[in-house]
Amino acid sequence: MTAETGREAAQVPMPGARSHERLRNFPPPEDWDAHVEYDARSHPRKVPHTYSLIPTICFNCESSCGLLAYVDHDDLSVKKFEGNPAHPGSRGRNCAKGPATINQVHDPERILYPMRRVGERGSGKFERVSWDEALEDIGGRIRRAIVEDRRDEVMYHVGRPGEDGFVERVLQAWGVDGHNSHTNVCSAGGRSGYTHWMGYDRPSPDYANAKVVLLLSSHLETGHYFNPHAQRIMEAKAGGAKLVVLDLRLSNTASHADLWVSPWPGSEAAIFLAVASYLLRTRKVDAAFMRRWVNWDVYLERLHPDAPKDFEVFLERLTEDYAQFTFEYAAAEAHVPIEQVERLAHIVADAGTRLATHTWRSASAGNLGGWQIARSLFFLNVLTGSVGTVGGTHPNGWDKFIPHFPEMPEPNDTWSEKLWPIEYPLTTNEMSILLPHLLKDGRGSGRLEVYFSRVYNPLWVNPDGFTWIDVLKDESKIGLHVALTPTWSESATFADYVLPMGHASERHDTMSFETHTSKWIAFRQPVQRVAMEKRGIPYQDTRDANPGEVWEENEFWFDLSWRIDPDGSLGIRQYFESKDRPGEKMTQDEYYNRLFQTSVPGLPEAAAAQGMTPLQYMRKYGVFEVAKEVYRLDERPLTDAELEGAVADEKGVLRKPVTLDSQPPLVGEAGAVGVVHEDGTRTAGWLSPSRKLELYSTTLADWGWPEHATPGYIESHVSARRIDRGNDEFVLMPNFRLPTLIHTRSGNAKFLNEIANTHPLWFNRADAAKLGVNTGDLVRVTTEIGRFVVRVWATEAIRPGVVGLSHHMGRWTQDGHPGSRWVMGKVDLNRSEDGIWRLRYIDGIKPFKSEDPDSERIYWDDPGVHQNLTFPVQPDPVSGMHCWHQKVRIEKAHAEDRYGDVEVDVNKSREVYRRWLAMTRPGPGPDGQRRPEFMMRHVTPKRSAYRVAMVEGNA
Amino acid sequence: MQYGFAIDQRTCIGCHACTVACKTENDVPLGQFRTWVKYVDSGEFPDTTRSFGVMRCNHCTDAPCVQICPTQALFKREDGIVDFDNSRCIGCKSCMQACPYDAIYIDAESQTAAKCNLCAHRVDNDLEPACVVVCPTHSIWVGDLDDPTSGIAKLVRTEETAVRAPEQNTGPNVFYLGADQAVLDPLAAPVDDTYIWAKPDAQRLETAGDLPGSPRTKARTTLNTAHPRPWGWKVVTYLWTKGVGAGALMLAGLAYLLGIGLGGVGDWVAPVLALFGAATTGGLLVWDLKRPERFLYIFLKSNFRSWLVLGAYVLTLFSGGAVLWLLAAGFDIAWLMTFLAWAALPAGAMMAGYTAFLFGQAEGRDLWQSPVLFWHLVAQAVMVGSGALAVAGAFAGWSEDEWRFVAAAFVLGTVVHLLMLAVEYGGKHASRQAATAAHVITGGRYARTFWLGAVLPAGVAAVLGAVAWGAPASGTAAGLLVVAGLIAQPALLAYESVFVRAGQDMPLS
Repeated sequence: MTAETGREAAQVPMPGARSHERLRNFPPPEDWDAHVEYDARSHPRKVPHTYSLIPTICFNCESSCGLLAYVDHDDLSVKKFEGNPAHPGSRGRNCAKGPATINQVHDPERILYPMRRVGERGSGKFERVSWDEALEDIGGRIRRAIVEDRRDEVMYHVGRPGEDGFVERVLQAWGVDGHNSHTNVCSAGGRSGYTHWMGYDRPSPDYANAKVVLLLSSHLETGHYFNPHAQRIMEAKAGGAKLVVLDLRLSNTASHADLWVSPWPGSEAAIFLAVASYLLRTRKVDAAFMRRWVNWDVYLERLHPDAPKDFEVFLERLTEDYAQFTFEYAAAEAHVPIEQVERLAHIVADAGTRLATHTWRSASAGNLGGWQIARSLFFLNVLTGSVGTVGGTHPNGWDKFIPHFPEMPEPNDTWSEKLWPIEYPLTTNEMSILLPHLLKDGRGSGRLEVYFSRVYNPLWVNPDGFTWIDVLKDESKIGLHVALTPTWSESATFADYVLPMGHASERHDTMSFETHTSKWIAFRQPVQRVAMEKRGIPYQDTRDANPGEVWEENEFWFDLSWRIDPDGSLGIRQYFESKDRPGEKMTQDEYYNRLFQTSVPGLPEAAAAQGMTPLQYMRKYGVFEVAKEVYRLDERPLTDAELEGAVADEKGVLRKPVTLDSQPPLVGEAGAVGVVHEDGTRTAGWLSPSRKLELYSTTLADWGWPEHATPGYIESHVSARRIDRGNDEFVLMPNFRLPTLIHTRSGNAKFLNEIANTHPLWFNRADAAKLGVNTGDLVRVTTEIGRFVVRVWATEAIRPGVVGLSHHMGRWTQDGHPGSRWVMGKVDLNRSEDGIWRLRYIDGIKPFKSEDPDSERIYWDDPGVHQNLTFPVQPDPVSGMHCWHQKVRIEKAHAEDRYGDVEVDVNKSREVYRRWLAMTRPGPGPDGQRRPEFMMRHVTPKRSAYRVAMVEGNA
Repeated sequence: MQYGFAIDQRTCIGCHACTVACKTENDVPLGQFRTWVKYVDSGEFPDTTRSFGVMRCNHCTDAPCVQICPTQALFKREDGIVDFDNSRCIGCKSCMQACPYDAIYIDAESQTAAKCNLCAHRVDNDLEPACVVVCPTHSIWVGDLDDPTSGIAKLVRTEETAVRAPEQNTGPNVFYLGADQAVLDPLAAPVDDTYIWAKPDAQRLETAGDLPGSPRTKARTTLNTAHPRPWGWKVVTYLWTKGVGAGALMLAGLAYLLGIGLGGVGDWVAPVLALFGAATTGGLLVWDLKRPERFLYIFLKSNFRSWLVLGAYVLTLFSGGAVLWLLAAGFDIAWLMTFLAWAALPAGAMMAGYTAFLFGQAEGRDLWQSPVLFWHLVAQAVMVGSGALAVAGAFAGWSEDEWRFVAAAFVLGTVVHLLMLAVEYGGKHASRQAATAAHVITGGRYARTFWLGAVLPAGVAAVLGAVAWGAPASGTAAGLLVVAGLIAQPALLAYESVFVRAGQDMPLS
């Protein structure tokens, strides 16, 4: 379109503001306190409404795109959400899920009041309870667990957090080891591959400037960070960049690719290594970059100890070591035409230092050894020197900014075996998929006093959901289950308390993500409360502004922390106490005022230029860009302060002294600040143990996996050799997402449901013909522990041998239980004495009466198939990632089969759990450590806690 | 000035943000869309492709919806936006027939027509439409196509573009860049039993087999929205009731002028049939309105370019004439009778035939765009009108002349109707859509109803009528004509049902 005008450029940057001819995309910020718009439905009669435009950020996927809430001055209702032109990542634009936030806010099925279970857990009966009663009960239990030193018995289990750092500080103040994420059903595999290169666990491709964009994911339609990434990928493409997509199915992203490769699942690493081998043998590598930044000396020492320590020798040996990965080999492993592999190699070789690559979930999350797929993909960046460059691939940490509150609590010194079992010392994230099994095994104390599921649906989203139900129902294993959620979910009905939390416009959070070469921080706000404040309407907390008694989590955590430590004797309360009003709770305004004042560089000055406080600035604009166009931070010279007291170790890593009481940072080793180079320069480098890019990972080698210390190819658990196609075996790809839905979080957005509302099994047309099935036919899909029944879509959009069933669908509620009728079918749920679970739909989705007339217009009926129930846990022994792909057998449905049927034997799921557990190489690692210190953890304990002996000594 | 859109399908990622932003901006009810994204998958693995197309109102330079709208609820603004005013809309759905783009729907909340109006309420505020603002890839351009310096005008001038249904000559103002023809052409890509993540509506499933598709591209529509037929049995029925009334009065008039008389049938039955036909037609028309309480708007807010309005006046005048006829007959006013008899001929023809002009304005329905439809409707009216008179004649003690006159009219009407069918369905069609619809009638889903329910009985009735016409006056001959007259009625209903349905079955998006 025409020029981005950046009207406010002289003052506040508006990267998403645009005007052309007479039209502009957003009202100017000076109008945001009173913007008049005409009512659309009354048009052409001019019925004006005056709105406050209050920025917030989306709470659907993790991209944190900016939103502007239109709050009507007449009744303080939220009319709609548009984008926020001030947001550098989303630049005023959104995907479908952004505007659909209004559906979630006005969902007649949402939970408006705190609820307490009546009858036995899982009976589905709830009564309204006051916040006060709920908080007293929960706070008392947590206090007892802390006082009795059962500090691994409090667990906060989070889906996509949608915030940075707030709860981590709360948990640290409580002194518990209780942060559990969803990440090992998500991105742990991809993160692992990146971690062992550079410490940082995620890539941040500079798509906009790339010459070649190479994706293993579908960033033009989903994922981290869909809308911001799609903008920049398409910009690059419009500028002539080539797009290559590896995906088993024709995603919307693949449909835009110059080259779409649909390899056999798990063979992706073989393809990348063949490309690497080509780059090496043709010397299309950036030798200078590699010489300076790759730990090639270690490579030689460990793998070629007799070779002279010489870079050229290294290159020769490396070339020889990867010579086995020929195009022929890769094509055969991947079952793709050799021309595709060759073409990919030529495209990559042509990219120079402008190669933007990305994998997040997809293959890395699907396969045993999937982390090596990410590691081999990034190998291509390392070889081409496209790391941290313009148009290259950066570590996420360069493009992300987390402000830390100045007063941080003492780090804890506990280690929870329920989160970080010793068998998985290299797991990227908490072993959350194993929680029910670990509790059954009696790990630690074998129980949890309080388990928070926070905007998270563990029994639905995790594999082996029936084992979750068994454990969630067992009060000897979970003392209290508190579900913090805006809507009813399968898991919430197995909670003791269901506490209503706010949507995108009903809570405070800060977020930052590596959407592009920029460090921005965005602010989520309870917009109605902000509007009340602007208009001088008094309130006590967000409950006075939100619908019903919906609360924001931050205030909830503050209040709960006070109940845990009412007199301050545990040393917890002080972190939530007002500085100005001692003895009183800190308000959110006080918290963010201080955070923005002290911890966001540049913000106080930018705010002052507007005549505002930092908090006022963030309330008005919702976002601040701390830095942009940051490249090659590995070369950043160290400051005097960093060098002060730092001493180089034998590998040149500059370290400051630390003790066992030191707390490692989020990523990286405590005390390490940089690296001394051959030429004597001292720069920041990477966050890996060597501060270099670790082609040879000493971590992997020293913690039991020497054969995988370099980028390699691990045969997947669903490799072509392991699938007997003559016996109607297939690989099931259950983990792809649709552009309009986001796990179970979007279930209450009617405008999203109406776009995507069926759940067909993508089935290659030729395969379908062979099996004698057609579009619409029912088939029975049998996994290792059970089976489900689903409808076929015979299509050319997926490769032969692989079937695909999207994520998001298969939602259910039991008869008489609360649920969301937009998306859930009614089921009959049965468990036999000997552990056979059966789920059968007794009703699909139907129109229903509510205050929203649209609920009577529901025209879809398919709740989908809850396939995850039939998957056993399959944790990768290195990364801990649940390997999503399933080996399945498919047959025509039997006479007794009904659509959506699920049957699972949980005894078998225990067997599979034990079998995968046996594949591990348990710690402790060197120095008696439970986990390498440099690897990311959300709440890092003291260094002492990392050491097995030290913890036992404490116990 | 002409506002329009340019949609760059080269960069569109099919994300549906435009769809949802539009719905939240305009409070569009569930299941209805002012803009949506169509998906088409083509080719065979591994050379499979997927194309997207953003569908919406084309803000046509010659907007057929504006022309057909009886109450000026749809109108073209100075700035070229085709806008609507739901306070004027009576919910007649004719705009949905006129639009060749499936752009209009009846809003489930207001029960009035609605569509993309380029967010006119925002444009009046100097703001871009919601879909343009939200689009992650800036694939939707808006602006004044008439202003050569505008961004959109430059884009359309310098890039290769395509429009939907250019053959309709509506002057569409939504230009597509890099769109797959299989997406733009509604006949090119049939649906399978499922979409990629939704279910095709019943009508698309039913009509999937009608579409030729392409054996070369194997293109299949893998996501789209529902556009059920706006008109159903009420319109089918009124085509018949209108025909009976019009035909009866026309023949009574002709008989009067020829001095044949028809006795009480001419004096009373014909005008009563005419009144009954007109009243039923009017009743069905009003019943078919989504806002029946607003039916007077047709006269109060008339758009005199709309054949719905002109038709309503025809209906009114015709009914008035029939009332006068009764008065003239009752008070035996000869001069008035002569005048009414003359007037009945054109009035009856218009009564029967104005629908041809209305259907002609239904630019979205190619099957209905027949140049002979007017005469066909008149012939049908003669067929069913004379058939109805014959039934009445059985009780009237008609003379041989009277029988012969009615028999002749019936035979001529029926034969012409059959000849017209031969012309309509045997000849070449002006468009692929019309040809496809015609094939559905003669060789597809409606073939049984067409051949066995409409053509065969009409043929039998024609033969019976001819026998009655040629035979010496007798009870048998009269009986044959009565039977023929009775057979003709359902035969016409059967035909109208397939004609009305098939016309609307062809997908426009």
